Amino acid sequence: MDVITWFAERFIGLFKAAAESFTGLVTGILPLLIVLLTAMYAITTWIGEERVTRAVQWAGKYQITRYTIMPIIAVIMLTNPMCYSFGRFLPEKQKPAFYDSAVSFVHPVTAFFPHANAGEIFVWTGVSAGVLAINPGAYARLAALYFIVGIVVILIRGVVTEFITKLLIKRGGHQERFDEFDAAYAAGQIQGAKS
Amino acid sequence: MTYQSVSIRKGRGGWGEGLTLTPTDEKNIVLSVTSGGIHPVAAKIAELSGAEAVDGFTNHIADDKVMCAVINCGGTARIGVYPRKRIPTVDVYPGEPGGPLAQFITEDIFVSAVTPNEVSVAGEVVTQAQPLSSQVDAADADRAKYEAQKAQAKEAAKDAGGFTKLVVSFGEAIGYFINTLLSSGRQAMKLVLNTIIPFMAYVSLLIGIVTYTKISEWIANGVTPLVSNPFGLILLGVITAIPVLSPILGPGAAIAQVVGVLMGQQIGAGALPVQYALPTLFAINGQVGCDFVPVGLSLGEAEPETVSVGVPAVLFSRLITSPIAVLLAYLASFAI
Repeated sequence: MDVITWFAERFIGLFKAAAESFTGLVTGILPLLIVLLTAMYAITTWIGEERVTRAVQWAGKYQITRYTIMPIIAVIMLTNPMCYSFGRFLPEKQKPAFYDSAVSFVHPVTAFFPHANAGEIFVWTGVSAGVLAINPGAYARLAALYFIVGIVVILIRGVVTEFITKLLIKRGGHQERFDEFDAAYAAGQIQGAKS
Repeated sequence: MTYQSVSIRKGRGGWGEGLTLTPTDEKNIVLSVTSGGIHPVAAKIAELSGAEAVDGFTNHIADDKVMCAVINCGGTARIGVYPRKRIPTVDVYPGEPGGPLAQFITEDIFVSAVTPNEVSVAGEVVTQAQPLSSQVDAADADRAKYEAQKAQAKEAAKDAGGFTKLVVSFGEAIGYFINTLLSSGRQAMKLVLNTIIPFMAYVSLLIGIVTYTKISEWIANGVTPLVSNPFGLILLGVITAIPVLSPILGPGAAIAQVVGVLMGQQIGAGALPVQYALPTLFAINGQVGCDFVPVGLSLGEAEPETVSVGVPAVLFSRLITSPIAVLLAYLASFAI
């Protein structure tokens, strides 16, 4: 009998522990997330894709904005995974670097804009929940630093990947093909511009 | 070249009514987007139908040549990318509509949890999806009708003039404001129900098991030495960014998310100092998006050559930038 009781207690105890952590996640994260998501969806609708597109095209011209402002706007406004579609405004040789830069921002962005990658928020929420529990004062600083360091990291990623892409184009003997792409781009032929 | 129709049923735990696909001379590519290589399911579809299986991770194929895409996404991103383009999609994992592109994942073009056993030569019944062009035409016609109605309404409002016009446009603005908020709320709730709560349920169960059986202490003892000093963290950053590992670790950020929750618990329990939270966030996520490079690039409408150069460029770049990111985060964490 003792064995059965012992087993039953452990069995229920296991699920009770799981249920407790579920309650914690639901009450701790969901309410804030739901209102934030609602607000962000509304704001992105109001601003509209057209205006964003113009800002993004401008940002794509200079290396420093191409791997900071451009991916930030893309990720916040179009969210993961549609944000990568803004790569179409760039010349071919810069597309891999833009992708690398944008995809690396889809987690730091969740510190303030969880709607941008709501399907994967637990990288940030998981770690930060621990910080919130033990040192609530440090939570806001952690969020800000994650966001800021994220921006620095995507800039570095963009620059490094652009450099490596250039290297691979040369080494792989693709130079001529990419020169053609560049010429087409300079002539105003943006891939997929459907107007 | 002779082609044959194949039927694909959903597998155990899968979703969707099943697909019947027939290759044509224009659409005869089975695109395997499964982190490199041709998945057995893609190979089986190609073999039975007479189409050609192509590794979408290293090759870029124009969308209009693709008969169907085979993906391995249990997450929320890739799962919707091909349905959004109305390309029939076969998921080898038990995926369901979820994530930001859930609305595009419909029963007529998506089936999941498929193994080679679910692929067979179709019987007599051959149904072909309505060609995309006619669907687009229908949508355009609808839109045109709507625009015309709108123009008419505006015209009427203009005729009214003065005060009435003011009231009408004020009402319109308020209506737009409220309706946007309402639909945003609906969108948020849908996402929470389809994507976030299911994740919470499975993570809670995992955490319950891990903490109740004291495995968490065991994991903590194992990982803490690695995560509790800057060199270990940088090493972790390098490991997650190894070009062979990174595409495997990537999908749905599933692994990074579970590790994130576990690390958070360790920090919450005081086993790890708060200062390490920031570098940990970067160390466990050096692989972010490495499984998604070809898809991400094709979303940016990249040329085939760009994809073939871009995949190795991103993977190798990570090996350099991932440890740099951890180091930067470690230095910045002194400000916490």
